[in-house]
Amino acid sequence: MWTTVLVSGISMGSFYILIALGFALIFGVTRYFNLAHGELVVLAGYVAYWLWNVYALSFVLTFPVAILVLFLICLGLKRLFARLTEPLELNSIVLSFGIAIVIQNSMLFLFSGNYRLIRIPSLNKSFHFHEVYMSYGQLTLLVLSLIVIFLLYILMYRTYLGKALRATIQNKEAAALAGINVTIMGTFAFCLGAVLIGLAGPLYGCTHYLYPSTGHEVTLLAITITIFAGVGRLSGIILAGWILGLAEAFTVILCGSSWREMVTALLLLILLAFKPYGILGNRES
Amino acid sequence: MINIKTKNFRYGFNKGLSPDKVSLLMGLFLLLLLPLLVRQNDYILQVFTHALLLATLALAWNILGLSGSISLGHAAFFGSGAYASALLSLDLGLSLWITIPLAGFIAAGLGFIMGLICMRLRGAYFALATLAFIEIPRVITDNWDEVTRGSLGLVGLPGFPSLNLGTWHIDFYSSFTASYYLVFIYFLLLLGLVGFIFRSNLGLALQAIREEEIASQAVGIRANSFRLFSMLLSAFFTGVSGACYAHLVRYINPGLVFGLHFSAIPMIFAICGGRFTIIGPALAALIIYPLDQFIFHPLIPTGHEFLYGAVLIFAVLFMPAGFWGSIQRTTN
Repeated sequence: MWTTVLVSGISMGSFYILIALGFALIFGVTRYFNLAHGELVVLAGYVAYWLWNVYALSFVLTFPVAILVLFLICLGLKRLFARLTEPLELNSIVLSFGIAIVIQNSMLFLFSGNYRLIRIPSLNKSFHFHEVYMSYGQLTLLVLSLIVIFLLYILMYRTYLGKALRATIQNKEAAALAGINVTIMGTFAFCLGAVLIGLAGPLYGCTHYLYPSTGHEVTLLAITITIFAGVGRLSGIILAGWILGLAEAFTVILCGSSWREMVTALLLLILLAFKPYGILGNRES
Repeated sequence: MINIKTKNFRYGFNKGLSPDKVSLLMGLFLLLLLPLLVRQNDYILQVFTHALLLATLALAWNILGLSGSISLGHAAFFGSGAYASALLSLDLGLSLWITIPLAGFIAAGLGFIMGLICMRLRGAYFALATLAFIEIPRVITDNWDEVTRGSLGLVGLPGFPSLNLGTWHIDFYSSFTASYYLVFIYFLLLLGLVGFIFRSNLGLALQAIREEEIASQAVGIRANSFRLFSMLLSAFFTGVSGACYAHLVRYINPGLVFGLHFSAIPMIFAICGGRFTIIGPALAALIIYPLDQFIFHPLIPTGHEFLYGAVLIFAVLFMPAGFWGSIQRTTN
C-alpha cells in the first residue's frame, strides 16, 4: 500500500512542479508575484475543455491552442504589471489579486459554476509493475512533467538565453550592467511561463474538477513550492514539488482527503515563519 | 505597554468647518435618514445594511492597513467570529449581547496566533502568510463535524433579541429598518473609534512604521509590538462584524464566511477608498457595494463581482492613494 502512496505522491508532485515552474520563473526574473497564476492554469484547462467538448478536438491538440491563448493573455498581463511602482512585490500581489478576481468572474460568466472534467477513459486504466499499481494517467503526468523539466533544464543551463535568464534571476542590476536587456528577459519569462501554464492547464482539467474558484488552491500550491525552493533554483523546485506531493498523499492516507487542503497552507506558514528564503536557498539581497 | 493619548493636532479636520467635515456630516445625515428616503423599501435597506457591515469590515481592516501591512486573510477572523458567536448562542444559549463581544475576543486570540507567526514578515511575504492562514480555521471548521456541523453550516441562528424601549417594541427579525439602524450605530461607533486611533499616539506610530520602519525604530517605536496590537484590534472588530453578519443573515457555512469574498472585499474597499484616510474605506464600501448590487448584478447575473477586481486594478495602477485619499490631496 505504501508504494501506491509513494507513486501517487511522486506523480502528483511532478504535476505540482509543472504548475510551480511557471510561477517561479516569472517571479524569479521579474520579481512580480502573480497571484492570478492559479486562475490562468484553470483558464487553460477551461479552454482545453471547451475545445475538447464543443469541437471534439483531440485532447493532445488542445495543448497548442491553450498555450497560444495563454501566450496572448500573459503578454497583456506583462503590460499591466509593467506599470507598477515600487514596492514591486507588494503592489504586484495586490494587482494580481485584482486580476485573479476578474479572470475568475470571467470564467464564471463564460463557463458557469458547474464542475467540468475532461474525461479520458484510457488514462484511468491501471497497470501494475512488480506489485506497484499505477494508472496510465499518473504515468502520463509523471513522464510529461519530467520531460518538461528536462527541456527547461536544457534551456536554462545549456543555452545562452538560459544563462541570461539565470543572470537576471540572480541579480537584476548586475545583469543589466552586463548588457542583458532585463525588460526583454521579463517578457521572455512571461512567455515561458505562459507555455508552462498552457501545458499544465489541460492536464489539470483531466485530473481535477474544473470550477472557477479552484484557482485559489493552485495559486497557493505554486507559491508554497516557489518559496520552499528559494528563488532561482530548479533543483529546489523539483524537491519541493515532490515533498509537497508526498506530504499530501500521506495526509490523505492517514487523515482523510478533507485535510489535504490544510497541508499546503501549513507548509507555507511554517516556511514563512522560519525560512522565508527557501530550504536550499541562501539569503537574497 | 502602549500609551494611547490623543493630541490636539491641527490637521484640516480640526480647523473648524472644512469641506471634509461638512461632506462627512452630510453623508452621515443621509445615511441616518435613508429608511425615510427610500420609504422603507426592504431591498434597498438590506443592500445598505450589508454595505454598512462591509464598511465596518473595511474600517477594521484599515486599522492593520494603517501600519502598511496588507492582509489578505481577514476572512479567518470574520469566519471565526461568526462561528464563535453562532455556536455560543446556538449550543449554549447565551444572549447575543454576550456572544458578540466574546466572538470578537476569540477572533482577537486568533489574530494573536497569526501575529506570532507573521509579525517578523514584511510586505509581500506577510500578505502571502495571511493568505495561507485562512485555510487553517476553514479546514478545521469544515472537518470538526461534532462541533461545527462541518460543511453543511449552521442554520437557524438566533437573530437579535427584540428590545422594549419604553413603549417602543423593536423586533429585529421582521423589521429591516431596525437591523439597518443597529448596523448603522455599530458603524458610527467604529468610525469614531478609528478616527480616535488615527489621531492617537498609536495611529501616529503605525503611520511612522508604514512610512519608514527603520527610522521609526530608531526613534524608539517597537514595530512588531505596535503591528501586533493593531492586528489584535483589527481582528477584534472583524470578529464582531462577523458575529453581526451571522446573526443578521442567520445562516453561515465555512465556504461562505471563510471565503475570499470576505477577505478580498475589505482589502479592496480600503485600497480603493484610501488606505491613508479614516473614512476612505467606508466611503468605498458604501459606493461600490450598492453599485455592484443595483447596477451590475442585474446586468451580469453571474460574474458581476469582476467589478471588485476591476476597481482594485484601477486603484493600484492609477490611484494608489485611493479615491478619498486623492480627493484629500487635491483639496489640501
